[in-house]
Amino acid sequence: MRYVGIFILYLILFSSVNAQEFKGEKGEIVFISQAPLSEFEGKSQALNGLVDFDKNLLDFFIDLNTLKTGIGLRDRHMRENYLETKKFPFAEFTGKMKTVPSLEAGKSQNVVAVGKFKIHGVVREIEVPGQLTLQGNELLLKASFKVLLSDHNIPIPTVMFYELAEEQIVNISIRLKKTN
Amino acid sequence: MKKVALLWMLLGLTFQSQAQLERKLATESQEVDLIFHAPRNINLLTTEPVDKGTLHFAIMHTFGTLDGGIRNLFGIDNGASIQFSFEYGFNDKFSLGAARQGLDKIYNLYGRYHFFKQTYDDKVPFSLSAMGGAGVNTSDYSFLIEGDPSLANRTSYAFQLMAARRFSDKISLQVSPMMAYFMDMNPIFFLEGDQNLYLALGFSGKYKVSSKASLTLQWIPNLNNDLRNNVGLGIDLEAGGHVFQMYFVTSPALNEQYLLAGGNGVPGEQFRLGFNVNRVFATKRSKANW
Repeated sequence: MRYVGIFILYLILFSSVNAQEFKGEKGEIVFISQAPLSEFEGKSQALNGLVDFDKNLLDFFIDLNTLKTGIGLRDRHMRENYLETKKFPFAEFTGKMKTVPSLEAGKSQNVVAVGKFKIHGVVREIEVPGQLTLQGNELLLKASFKVLLSDHNIPIPTVMFYELAEEQIVNISIRLKKTN
Repeated sequence: MKKVALLWMLLGLTFQSQAQLERKLATESQEVDLIFHAPRNINLLTTEPVDKGTLHFAIMHTFGTLDGGIRNLFGIDNGASIQFSFEYGFNDKFSLGAARQGLDKIYNLYGRYHFFKQTYDDKVPFSLSAMGGAGVNTSDYSFLIEGDPSLANRTSYAFQLMAARRFSDKISLQVSPMMAYFMDMNPIFFLEGDQNLYLALGFSGKYKVSSKASLTLQWIPNLNNDLRNNVGLGIDLEAGGHVFQMYFVTSPALNEQYLLAGGNGVPGEQFRLGFNVNRVFATKRSKANW
């Protein structure tokens, strides 16, 4: 009888833990480079994300090889000369929300995430404002932040100064499903 | 006992749910990028594709031989042999190109097909592509006593396979069995060979010296004739969307048929300065075409 009790307790714990965990792996990420002579975007639909409200854990990563700018040669140069994806395949963010919001279905909530952002092997503490919307079993997350290439040890050669922006704008949008 | 097991189970599950996401690559067999900097390495076509919907424009020059010395500005005064080429990628495997070589005013049409690409996990150890093309000499030969050669007798063909491997971050090599066939070896053509069929093995090499520059090499030993072998040494520089290729080469020839049948100078004093500019244009708006 006692075991049954523990088991039930465990079930309750287990389900409550998971009830607030959301995961997704097809999030969209867009980066925008606005240099004086050239503006382009890179895009991927392979952003993986985890939002856990109980533990206040945020975890996101993307395989940088999936980024596409619309020109294959530019992609290859990006992977080979700038992001060096063979050595550093992922961009990742792990952190938490400054305050955990209580979500109401259908209503957007502004949140601020703080944590470690890593790309090109260099970790930086960043703060990212974002929006969360609960839609049934799904959580829609949108966020935008800026990345300075020099912060992450990605040099821009002088000949590229007018074609590649030092400050890259990154927008993410991901639909996360409640895990059960 | 049961209690302990239950506790373990609980702990295990708790830990499991606390963990971050496992970092997984989207594709395990990631294709190797940039075995060479451009669809051409010195004069030879490589396994580098022209992406779907993009146009690769190349302008190639070779000047006179160096042995004219400073008086001829090391061959630059002799004027350049020039080839323009446009190659359009219909998909990521197939592209069609058109080239026009100044020497003998040859128009070449060619296609390239990429069978497979080397992957980082070595499941595919090298990239393999093929090229086939035909060219027509459009020079005016009406001054010849025997009259203008017919269209058929102005035609030549080229075929080659390209097998390339990136051995390390720095070193890439390509082997290209090559074939050229001339319908007629008219002595008025700027060719040294006297047979119709030419077989050769092209070797292309790249040694990366920095993230934007590589030393390049080309060596094309002939297999069925006594013509001198083509030798080229150069440097590739990447600058934005351009790849600049500067080199010394033993032949003024720029298309595949002439590379095999055109003859070569002695490496060294008879080297010619050569210069290619490669540029890729996206024909569709990048934002609209994902």
